[in-house]
Amino acid sequence: MTLLRALVLFCLVAVTAQTASAHKLILSIYPAGAMVEGEIGFSNGDMAAKALVEIFDVDGKLLKQVTTDEEGFFVFEPKAGIRHVFRADLGAGHVAQAILYEEDLPVGLRSDTSGQTNESNSKKAVVVDSEFSAQQQDLIAEALRREIRPLQKELAAYKEKNDLQTILGALGYILGLCGIGFYFMARRRLKDGKDAD
Amino acid sequence: MHIVDGALSTEVVTGGAVLAVAGIAYGLKHLSMEKIPAAGMLSATFFVASLIHVPLGPSSIHLIMNGVAGMILGWAAFPALFVGLLLQAVFFGFGGITVLGINSLNIALPGVLVFYLCRSALAGGSSRKAAIWGGIGGAFAISLTTLFVAFSLALSGDEFLPAAKFVFFAHIPVMVIEGLLSAAAIYLIATAKPELFSIMQRGAEE
Repeated sequence: MTLLRALVLFCLVAVTAQTASAHKLILSIYPAGAMVEGEIGFSNGDMAAKALVEIFDVDGKLLKQVTTDEEGFFVFEPKAGIRHVFRADLGAGHVAQAILYEEDLPVGLRSDTSGQTNESNSKKAVVVDSEFSAQQQDLIAEALRREIRPLQKELAAYKEKNDLQTILGALGYILGLCGIGFYFMARRRLKDGKDAD
Repeated sequence: MHIVDGALSTEVVTGGAVLAVAGIAYGLKHLSMEKIPAAGMLSATFFVASLIHVPLGPSSIHLIMNGVAGMILGWAAFPALFVGLLLQAVFFGFGGITVLGINSLNIALPGVLVFYLCRSALAGGSSRKAAIWGGIGGAFAISLTTLFVAFSLALSGDEFLPAAKFVFFAHIPVMVIEGLLSAAAIYLIATAKPELFSIMQRGAEE
C-alpha cells in the first residue's frame, strides 16, 4: 500500500510539475532556399551556443564543420546532391544527429544523380515559367520561411512533449506485463500442484 | 543519466546488451509470484520518477530510484528497470533502443550491488537502522551509476576522469535527495510492512 501511495503521489507531482523538460540534446534542420538552417538545443529550452556541428556524407566522410551562434543557430550550404548527416557531440553523452535527405536539398541539387558538386546552378533551376521574376520568387520564399519558422519550432517542441496520456499508457503497459507475469507464474504453480498430486 | 543512441561505440553497446540480457534472465528466474506486484510498482516508480525533471543550476536533474528498486527486488530489479527504460525509450525518446542494454546495466547493476550491501541491515534490524542503510544504499546506487556511465563513455573514447567528474558532480544533488527519499521509503516499509524484505530475500535465495 505504501508503494501504491508513493506511486499516486509521483503521478500527481508528474502532472502538476510540467514535466516537459528532459535533458536531451536536440538537433533540428530546416531547408531554407539554397541553405540549410539548423538549431541545437537541450530539451529543457536552453540552446547550445558555440557548439560544433559536423556534417558528414553517408559513408562518414567529414564534409564541413560549422559552429552555432549564441542562440544555437547555424547555417550550412550544401554543395552536393547527396544525403547529409549532421552530428553534434557536446561531450558526456550528449550527442544528437539529424539527416538531410536528398529530397529536402535545395532545388538545384535535388535531381543530381551523382555526388558531383555544382555550386552556382541552384538559382538557375528554380522554375522560371511563372509570372514572378527570380527576385520575387526569392522574396516570397524568404517571407514564407519567416512565417513557417515559429511553426517548425513549435512542432519540434511538441515532439518532445510528455503528455499525461503517454505516461498513463506506459503505466498500463507495466500493469499488463505484471498480468502476463502472473499468468505464467500461476500456470507454473498449477502444473507443479498437479505433479505433486 | 540515460546515454543516447550514437554516443557509444558498437563494442560497448554490444557488451552492455549481452550483460544486460544475462542480468534480465537471471532476474526473471528470481522473480517469484510474490515479487511481481513490487516489481511492477518499482518499474512504474522508476518510469515516472525519471520523467520529472527539476531544473537545477545549468542543467536539470531527475530521480532514478534504482537504489530502492535494487534493495527491494534484488536481481529482479533488472527486468523491472529494463521495462521502465524500454517504455521511456519508445514513448519519450529518452536514451534509445540500441543503448537499452548498456543503460539497463548502468542503472540496474548498482541496484543489485546495493541489495547485497544492505540486505542484512534491512532484514533483521530496527526500522531506524533500515532507514539509515536505505539512505546510504539510495545515494550509493546513484554514485555507482554515474561511475558506470562515465566508464561506458570512457570505453567509447571519452576521457574517463573529466567525464566521470562531470557526471558525478552533476548528480550530487540527486544523491542527496535520493538518499533521503530512499531512507523514507525504506523506513516506511520497515515500519508498515517489514515482511516485504523477508519475502524478497527468500525470493533471492531460491
